[in-house]
Amino acid sequence: MSVYVYGVTRAGLAAPPGIRGIGDPPARVRTPAYGGLAAVVSAAPDKLRPRRRDLRAHQDVQLAFAGRGALLPTRFGAVAADEEAVLARLREGAGSYAAALDRVEGRFEMNLKAAPVEDGIAALVRTDPHVARLRQESRRRPGYDTSVRLGEAVMAGLRRRALAAAREVADVLTELADDVAPGAEVPGGVLNVSFLVAADRVADCRAVVDDLGPQLADRAELRLAGPLPCYSFCGLAAPAGV
Amino acid sequence: MTVIADEVVCAPRTGTLYDVLDLVLDRGIVIDVFVRVSLVGIEILKIDARVVVASVDTYLRFAEVCNRLDLERDSRSRTVPELFGGMSGSVGRAGARKATRSLGGKVGGKVKDALGFGDEDEEPAEDDRDRDRPRRRAAAGGAGGRSGSRAKSRGKEG
Repeated sequence: MSVYVYGVTRAGLAAPPGIRGIGDPPARVRTPAYGGLAAVVSAAPDKLRPRRRDLRAHQDVQLAFAGRGALLPTRFGAVAADEEAVLARLREGAGSYAAALDRVEGRFEMNLKAAPVEDGIAALVRTDPHVARLRQESRRRPGYDTSVRLGEAVMAGLRRRALAAAREVADVLTELADDVAPGAEVPGGVLNVSFLVAADRVADCRAVVDDLGPQLADRAELRLAGPLPCYSFCGLAAPAGV
Repeated sequence: MTVIADEVVCAPRTGTLYDVLDLVLDRGIVIDVFVRVSLVGIEILKIDARVVVASVDTYLRFAEVCNRLDLERDSRSRTVPELFGGMSGSVGRAGARKATRSLGGKVGGKVKDALGFGDEDEEPAEDDRDRDRPRRRAAAGGAGGRSGSRAKSRGKEG
């Protein structure tokens, strides 16, 4: 029977009471062990799709284990043919998994995303000669093309302002972090970066964003997510072609 | 200038599903011998969202906001920084709230569509309800001509 895999942890770490896996009804979470390692698994549902409920369950299970020690979280959707296949993989990867677990032990991922805001349009027009010129042109000769050009320049300018503001915050968070990993570009965003943070510094990270966020609110919308399982800091290169 | 009194109440976003989607789906370990379920809906969603954000409609709206700004008045009052800051602040913020909401709303809507794909019987997730609520309240309390444009942008979301 195929099993859904949430991640790799250390042996001896029991599933937290009340934790529910993916599927409807929620599957029971188990931790088959090999040597010093254990996989976090449950029965795989027949039809697995990226439902809200299952994405949430995937993350909740991972976070519960990460909070109890260390976990190498899988991406959503990892399914193995059976439990033997999972244990065989633990045996083969024992060395690298153990090293990666040491790296994330007692740590969480904090993710900062930043998006532009319109608050600074007036400041942008005053400080950016290109935008100011396009605006004058658009007022003198209103039209579709001039409007598109102006809007495009405004968007670019807002993104620049947002990125500069976001970098100020990212610099402070970097000082609190043990490691930093840039994330993929997200739609509409200007910055997406993750920080590997010791559990006792999670609150400090949040305080930084709570303090600086309002000050920078006319330049960037800042969103800090976390504590999260250490998705970006597992230290295992993805196999080619994935 | 219409002053909007209601502040948008932002739910604490310590990890709304949308904000961490890129991590849950594209980060974390990949175990090559395991099958990874194909997540077609999500790929389409990401492309769609990018197109929406960078659309000509957005440019035109930015141009409109930009042209509406009363900069001449602003520059004359440059000797009075407090007044100046207050003015541009309220103009900008009002526009930004509208924009953030319509952008966020559109993207959020797409996420909702994709996550609910083929799953009609499922209740909306808690966090989605939380995120909708302040928007609804803000629109209901909107003052003057602004509420009209809000209702319009909200209509597009659905």
